[in-house]
Amino acid sequence: MEEATGRRSNLPIRSEREREQYRSSMLQCIFLLSDSGEVMLEKQLTGHRVDRSICAWFWDQADSFKSLPVIASPTHYLFQIVRDGITFLACTQVEMPPLMAIEFLCRVADVLSDYLGGLNEDLVKDNFIIVYELLDEMIDNGFPLTTEPNILREMIAPPNLVSKMLSVVTGNASNIYGEVQMSSQLTGFPDLTLSFANPSVLEDMRFHPCVRFRPWESHQVLSFVPPDGQFKLMSYRVKKLKNTPLYVKPQITSDSGTCRVSVLVGIRSDPGKTIESITFSFQLPHCVSSADLSSNHGTVTILSNKTCTWTIGRIPSDKTPCLSGTLALETGLERLHVYPTFKVGFKIMGIALSGLRIEKLDLKTIPPRLYKGFRAQTRSGEFDVRL
Amino acid sequence: MFNQFGSTAETLSKASAAVLRIGTDAHLYDDPEDVNIAPLLDSKFESEKCEALKRLLALIAQGFDVSNFFPQVVKNVASQSSEVKKLVYLYLLHYAEKRPNEALLSINYFQKDLGDPNPLVRAWALRTMAGIRLHVIAPLALAAVGKCARDPAVYVRKCAANALPKLHDLRLEEHAPAIEELVGILLNDHSPGVVGAAAAAFTSICPNNFSLIGKNYKKLCQILPDVEEWGQILLIGTLLRYVVARHGLVRESLMLSLHGLESNGFYEKDGLVRDKGDGDKSDSFDANLVSLVSKSYIEGPDEYLSRSNGVDTVAASFDSKETTSIGDNEDVKILLQCTSPLLWSNNSAVVLAAAGVQWIMAPLEDVKKIVKPLLFLLRSSTASKYVVLCNILVFAKAVPSLFAPHFEDFFICSSDAYQVKAHKLEMLSLIATTSSISSILREFEDYIKDPDRRFAADTVAAIGLCAKRLPEIPTACLNGLLALVRQESFAGDLELVDGEAGVLVQAVMSIQTIIERDPLSHEKVIIQLFRSLDSVKVAAARATIIWMVGVYCSLGHIIPKMLTTITKYLAWSFKSEASETKLQILNTAAKVLISAEVEDFQMLKKIVLYVLELGECDLNYDVRDRTRFLKKMLSYKLACHEPAEDSVASQENIAEHVVEHVFGRKLKPFSPLNLHNRFYLPGSLSQIVLHAAPGYEPLPKPCSFVFEEHDQLSDSDRQREAMSGLNGSQESSETVDEDGSSEYDSESYNGSDLSSDGDERNDATDSADPLIQFSDIAVSTDQEELRSKRALDLWLDEESSTSNQTPSALDRNQSSYAKISIGDIGSRVKPKSYTLLDPGNGNGVKIDYTFLSEVSTVSPLHVCVEVLFQNSSTEPIVEVSLEDEEAMNVSDSAEQTLVGKANASYNNVPTLIPMEELSCLEPGQSAKRLIQVRFHHHLLPMRLSLHYNGKKVPVKLRPDLGYLVKPFSITIEEFLATESRLPGMFEYSRRCTFTDHIKDTRMENGKDKFLTICESITLKVLSNSNLHLVSVDLPVASTLEDATGLRLRFSSKILSSEIPLLITITVQGKCNEDLNLTVKINCEETVFGLNLLNRIANFMVETSSSAI
Repeated sequence: MEEATGRRSNLPIRSEREREQYRSSMLQCIFLLSDSGEVMLEKQLTGHRVDRSICAWFWDQADSFKSLPVIASPTHYLFQIVRDGITFLACTQVEMPPLMAIEFLCRVADVLSDYLGGLNEDLVKDNFIIVYELLDEMIDNGFPLTTEPNILREMIAPPNLVSKMLSVVTGNASNIYGEVQMSSQLTGFPDLTLSFANPSVLEDMRFHPCVRFRPWESHQVLSFVPPDGQFKLMSYRVKKLKNTPLYVKPQITSDSGTCRVSVLVGIRSDPGKTIESITFSFQLPHCVSSADLSSNHGTVTILSNKTCTWTIGRIPSDKTPCLSGTLALETGLERLHVYPTFKVGFKIMGIALSGLRIEKLDLKTIPPRLYKGFRAQTRSGEFDVRL
Repeated sequence: MFNQFGSTAETLSKASAAVLRIGTDAHLYDDPEDVNIAPLLDSKFESEKCEALKRLLALIAQGFDVSNFFPQVVKNVASQSSEVKKLVYLYLLHYAEKRPNEALLSINYFQKDLGDPNPLVRAWALRTMAGIRLHVIAPLALAAVGKCARDPAVYVRKCAANALPKLHDLRLEEHAPAIEELVGILLNDHSPGVVGAAAAAFTSICPNNFSLIGKNYKKLCQILPDVEEWGQILLIGTLLRYVVARHGLVRESLMLSLHGLESNGFYEKDGLVRDKGDGDKSDSFDANLVSLVSKSYIEGPDEYLSRSNGVDTVAASFDSKETTSIGDNEDVKILLQCTSPLLWSNNSAVVLAAAGVQWIMAPLEDVKKIVKPLLFLLRSSTASKYVVLCNILVFAKAVPSLFAPHFEDFFICSSDAYQVKAHKLEMLSLIATTSSISSILREFEDYIKDPDRRFAADTVAAIGLCAKRLPEIPTACLNGLLALVRQESFAGDLELVDGEAGVLVQAVMSIQTIIERDPLSHEKVIIQLFRSLDSVKVAAARATIIWMVGVYCSLGHIIPKMLTTITKYLAWSFKSEASETKLQILNTAAKVLISAEVEDFQMLKKIVLYVLELGECDLNYDVRDRTRFLKKMLSYKLACHEPAEDSVASQENIAEHVVEHVFGRKLKPFSPLNLHNRFYLPGSLSQIVLHAAPGYEPLPKPCSFVFEEHDQLSDSDRQREAMSGLNGSQESSETVDEDGSSEYDSESYNGSDLSSDGDERNDATDSADPLIQFSDIAVSTDQEELRSKRALDLWLDEESSTSNQTPSALDRNQSSYAKISIGDIGSRVKPKSYTLLDPGNGNGVKIDYTFLSEVSTVSPLHVCVEVLFQNSSTEPIVEVSLEDEEAMNVSDSAEQTLVGKANASYNNVPTLIPMEELSCLEPGQSAKRLIQVRFHHHLLPMRLSLHYNGKKVPVKLRPDLGYLVKPFSITIEEFLATESRLPGMFEYSRRCTFTDHIKDTRMENGKDKFLTICESITLKVLSNSNLHLVSVDLPVASTLEDATGLRLRFSSKILSSEIPLLITITVQGKCNEDLNLTVKINCEETVFGLNLLNRIANFMVETSSSAI
């Protein structure tokens, strides 16, 4: 707290007159940085040019400071988000809602990864013209202009490498966070009404801008005119999930410099459909010098950054998947005193763990050749298992 | 050491990506300069231009300066391909400020695009034009924005709103009212998309012009849910500020809870969980903090904190006149209603902004509805999670009970960033209650095992805070913490593991915080800690424990008995301690000695003396200093034999008092109200960085804005009027468009000089309304741009046919003009003379110069200048001459490029053909000399040195643009043909007024009025520039009094480049009144042309003293 206050004196803008001078623009510049800190792209947004040396300053900061989403540098305020190794950095010199900048950067990242079919250094560099065009359309004079992906798509043609992923509901151990994704290909201005069989399970929600608030307030129905294409109609939260569908039983014992690890994974309560793509990962503690882990089902990989990933897939009917092995501790350490947190990922097709059910979808004007369909899917969100 | 874990996945993905890159723009990014870019830009193929531009953008992306390509790139703005155009725009915006002269080249092209039927093209043109940010074009850009603000397409209007801050950025005071007016119009737009952008413009241009909001307040509230998310964020803030400025804060709100309501009653009445165990003390602490928060919002924390200087004035209440009640205030009610559904928005910034309004304005019992939406935001991206947490922390500090039931939402995920974890911990320790603390502690126990030891240390600190807040639970905590201390100290060689020490230190400090509340009942804990001293190896932790020995040395019964042993141990270990621990040992030794019991005193004295001796020879000077200081202070103690022995000397008494005061003082409880709490408005950047960011403004002063109904009425009337006027003009422009016909005044477009439009204003029905003026310009601009080249031809044909229909009128006019003849008028032409040196500076020498229309004999680049020397002194002046100050052949290369390439062959010719020296100039005598000058640049003066009487005086010879051209004699047909080849970006015009003829007409009453006007205009033009008069056209259906449509054409060639330059002057207005002239120039040298245009417009306005 003190540190940030002290830094204030470095800001060059002091007098009222100068304040006035800087007020007219919000974001001044956006930089895209690769995972090695190289500036891949700069987009100046206003007349107050920002020198790219700010990126070098930013990159040289200590990690804990650098990872802050909002940073007060000696000359500018920086906002950043990191997506797939790419840092999106935006600069301003004036008061503005920081969440606005962050949300906007997230939106840019979403749109880019949608356009480029993913995000990485090469994709950005290869399609830098499209990135420039998108940025130019998405923000004007530091204020967001067109950010709705469907409209952007009409203005700027995407390159021919688009792959998509559909996710409907994701769940989390004690809370379920869910999304209703909608894909609409209707002509004209279709007026839709979506109602839930059990809206009371919803704890809290967020709506796409096309959803009208009043009908929801009065009858808990979603009334909206969908934009063309795919979009997130709403997201919601359901509290108090009684049980996770999987159980994980990790055991770690350590003695005289070595650690025995065994982890069992099984189905706790059968959701009625197959649980797919089960993965299991954890970070080996720093004090582990080498590891020897194997499993009776699936594959185990350990990366150089000490992340251990166990890909299980589906749980076989005949046996319980088990990961076992030993870890060697660094010399001088007798026992393990820190324990890793295990992250579990899974997916269930065709069912929403939240129990939220869509009752019906009505259209005011029924076009010919109408196809309505629902698909549900559950994916693990933050499923942490601790010892 | 971890090589065995190395994975090839990364390299594999890189390789596959490389394969995929074929067919993209990858090669352009990687090697933008592997081909020569310049020729590509001039290519006739769009695809090659495109490639060149992409290469340039790649270089920009990589941080290279490629502004030297600017002139070549700008040329391509005329491209038909929208891809090329877009790329040019991107380039242009990046460099326009650096190369203003060349950027001007593109302006006309934008003007043309503004009339494009495709709204996207119109919007691009507007965005780029406003984005160029040159003062010169600001009036043009403002007119364009004014026009686009009324565009039928929403997107264009939105871009117009976005363009306003760009213009405002140029700080042109004279345009400020017009810009604010436009903001008002756009705020009143019926499309939500436009209103959002207008709200952003409002925020950045005139955030305190509340009358603009007042007019539309209800409408803005209604439209708010439909506004785009980004606009919503700012509009919410604007509406909140407006309501506070107009009505003040709400009496029922949390902000004023201290003053209006019994705060204690509120908590119970509304069923918000209140921690009864905390008692009244903590409750009032909340109220104080809330009051601090609300004061900070209104006054800004820096000001408020510096003034109030503490808690005392916190309770000062608001003036009741400056508050309002939700019950009877419609505006507040609407604000709360329209913002509450936004709590469900998809955009976290909108939710936070809406929550901010509820937090400040909503009645107490409604504030809790912001809780769940805020908690939902914790699901969003890591970055926004952090910002949201920072804001929630403020809310929770003021009213912990709001979030207390939701403690589970602040449990930590392993994927959280460190800062988020730290904030969550702080949050948990803030909102823990007796019912939730057990689950929270269970979570904490897990966190302590986390591999991130810094986080583990923070957790331990949080446990201490929890235990401090909730006195019931310390026992459980203490045992855990003690176990931790023991475990940590046994966990092998701690130096090996990073951050491990931090956990231990925090554990000791947390224990200390708990003990501090009630040391007596924790005696055993203290003893346990002392016993663990030997195993604790971390210096900071040891120092804390040793400090505790000193503080609690007289506590209870057991500790005083242990003191001798502990002190012995400390003395024994002193040598091997770190400096910070040594300092604590010294302090503790002093404290122990002071409070020593009689039986231990002698022993302790010996030990302390030993420690002091050791300290005196320590390597660290801090330790040595401290030792000497203590030795001096304790000297009275060390000298006596019994602890209670009465000292006789008064001096010793004082020393004793000092020592008692320094070491024997009991600890004061730590003040809970931390003055480092700085509160800024929710959702602001300042709240995150904890200082007022530039541009941060607290809420306006309550009731500072007085709203006048009357004002509203008249304003809205005026606006309606303006809108109707606008609709009318739009219609008219459409009809003109359809007809394909054109009137004379279609040429009188371009309000480049708004200041000279005073007359036009008078013509308008409502003279006070500048809007009319805009729409007028807008219409004519429209016509100008809609006119394609073909339309121009058509128009020209039409015109010639009309002239054919009335040959008599034209003939008469032309023949009558022929009578005056150029030669005739030439004698009346009085070229303007300029002063080179006035007598004041030149000891009585006065030198004037006049540009001559003669063509130089030396080279086509030279201009003939007649210099008139006058001696107004009383003594003769000898040896007068003018010379070029700079070396003859040295000329700056940059300047040369601007003059053009055609003159390269004349580079060897000296810039000044010197004059014949004047040998002597008698008093009162004058002499003329001719010099020939080649100017480096058409705007920059030339430095000459004047020699006379053996002295040298520097003088500056300023070029007159009007004489950097030479007459170009062509026929009217040739003129029209040339003109048709120079449309669009090569054509620019300006308006000005002309008054010379009024004098003239009066003087020569008998003469034909039109003739007089033609004469005076021609005279004015030819007196100021070197042109050839091509023709004079008279309007067909003109009355005798109306000179509208009169047109004069002049032609010339630019001296340096021989490029033809055509000037057309069209007259508008009554013969006897001031005339409005539209001066139009067609020329390929756009920069020169524009400058000349300005020059002409300027001298036409000057009332000439030389009028006949």
